[in-house]
Amino acid sequence: MAAIAVHQFAQCITCHAWSPDHAMVAFCPNNNEVHIYKLIQEKWEKLHVLQKHDQIVSGIDWSVRSNRIVTVSHDRNSYVWNQEGSEWVPTLVILRLNRAALCVQWSPKENKFAVGSGAKTVCICYYEQENNWWVSKLIRKRHDSSVTSVAWHPNNVFLATTSTDGKCRVFSTFIKGVDIKEKKEGTSSDTKFGEQILQLDLSFSWAFGVKWSPSGNTLAYVGHNSMIYFVDDVGPSPLAQNVAFRDLPLRDVLFVSEKMVIGVGFDCNPMVFAADETGIWTFIKFLDERKTSSSGPKYGSQFSEAFGKLYGQSKYGVGNDAVESSRTRGGTHLHCTSQGGREFKDNSFHHFRIGWKNSYMGSGEPRRFIELSSMKVDLYTFYSTWDLGSQEDLLNYL
Amino acid sequence: MLRIKIQSNTLRLYLACIRNTLDAALCLQNFPCQEVERHNKPEVELKTSPELLLNPILICRNEAEKCLIETSINSLRISLKVKQADELENILTKKFLRFLSMRAEAFQVLRRKPVQGYDISFLITNYHCEEMQKHKLIDFIVQFMEVRILLNLISCFSLVRMIV
Repeated sequence: MAAIAVHQFAQCITCHAWSPDHAMVAFCPNNNEVHIYKLIQEKWEKLHVLQKHDQIVSGIDWSVRSNRIVTVSHDRNSYVWNQEGSEWVPTLVILRLNRAALCVQWSPKENKFAVGSGAKTVCICYYEQENNWWVSKLIRKRHDSSVTSVAWHPNNVFLATTSTDGKCRVFSTFIKGVDIKEKKEGTSSDTKFGEQILQLDLSFSWAFGVKWSPSGNTLAYVGHNSMIYFVDDVGPSPLAQNVAFRDLPLRDVLFVSEKMVIGVGFDCNPMVFAADETGIWTFIKFLDERKTSSSGPKYGSQFSEAFGKLYGQSKYGVGNDAVESSRTRGGTHLHCTSQGGREFKDNSFHHFRIGWKNSYMGSGEPRRFIELSSMKVDLYTFYSTWDLGSQEDLLNYL
Repeated sequence: MLRIKIQSNTLRLYLACIRNTLDAALCLQNFPCQEVERHNKPEVELKTSPELLLNPILICRNEAEKCLIETSINSLRISLKVKQADELENILTKKFLRFLSMRAEAFQVLRRKPVQGYDISFLITNYHCEEMQKHKLIDFIVQFMEVRILLNLISCFSLVRMIV
């Protein structure tokens, strides 16, 4: 299945977020700015440039209901951007961090957001009406290393984090005055702010990309040892499943439904994982088709070629020559047929967001699209829409 | 000529091993320093946070020729030890690598000083991976090794001929 739409915005993108209606995208082109593009008549046009940070922007999230953008950066600061007229107006958030902020996410009710940081802490930020600013409460001394990703449970209280110490943790982030205690939930009645509900020590290496399933029953995260972990019954007795795969490690995951997960990573090809009726997760397929190149890996024994390579191209490995390498990973290339067979070389990873689209494609038959924006941190950066509905083998899991 | 051919076949295995290891190890990302505020340094050089380092890999072709690959979350260091059979090769290697090290900027990924016990080291960071393609970077290192070995051979032959 090839991507339907691809667009290269910049040479390298560190993070991105979609507007609630999926007509706009905000991303950081590997510097201290955030660019906002809008799709106007099949063409992407740059509408705004948000300049306030002074180091690379590491996280962006766009709230669905309140239409606010939150950005975090390696300069230890965070801003909440509100659209007033045609301008985006920033509000500084006092994070009280002394190291870089790495990731950010709005809570489901959008009254809080969580920031993971290199200071081995997590900030839970909320709006204080009387002072008219965002304040943060810190979860300290729980992580042994940088916090690489954060994910909110749909109940707006539980927060899952992954860290480079290889652990995945779940915290309660109940803040008096912001959250209302729900009496129905008997299990989480005694949760104070910052209390650790669960610590998962499944990975031997760094953990990344934690996500909850839409219902909040399942938790998925990835390890740098090419493993993906699925955790059911998050609570005192969790059920964990490890799925190992043979390719390069993943960086982020995304729940498409309760039973289907898409993972993206250094292989530059989204991987689909799904659970069967018994709840066993397995790797299903790659989302992009893989085209195996005819010539196998040849290790240039021709010395003259090697000479030319060394002296002609020592600076940047972009110009092609006789030894045009048909040996990316295992001799495979990724082709995006929609763009006239433009090649996407593996190098780095995607981040993504998802949206559903029901659209009529001429024939009158409604088709369900899945809109995955995958932004590659590499020479090519693209946004893609995969027509997931046309994949009959995957329909069962939706 | 026959000798060169046999040598290049066993060399091929050694280089293939290095290539595959590099392919798996070059999964780097931007990662700011945990110890110093507003800094971003290659963790493999700093070694301040042990949890950010992976286990180093040593690939040996024989006692005299080996390759050490050290990986961290945002950087990778590959160090090579090349064969020096006699004094002559020793001098040649020294001269050649000194020539390269003095021009380290032109090579971008070349480390000015080799890691102790090795002849030459490369340092690849996430920034190199962002602006260059990963497989080209790997090609560069592997081809560098091929070229270097060839250079040694050529210089040996020409020197021997001159002496004889």
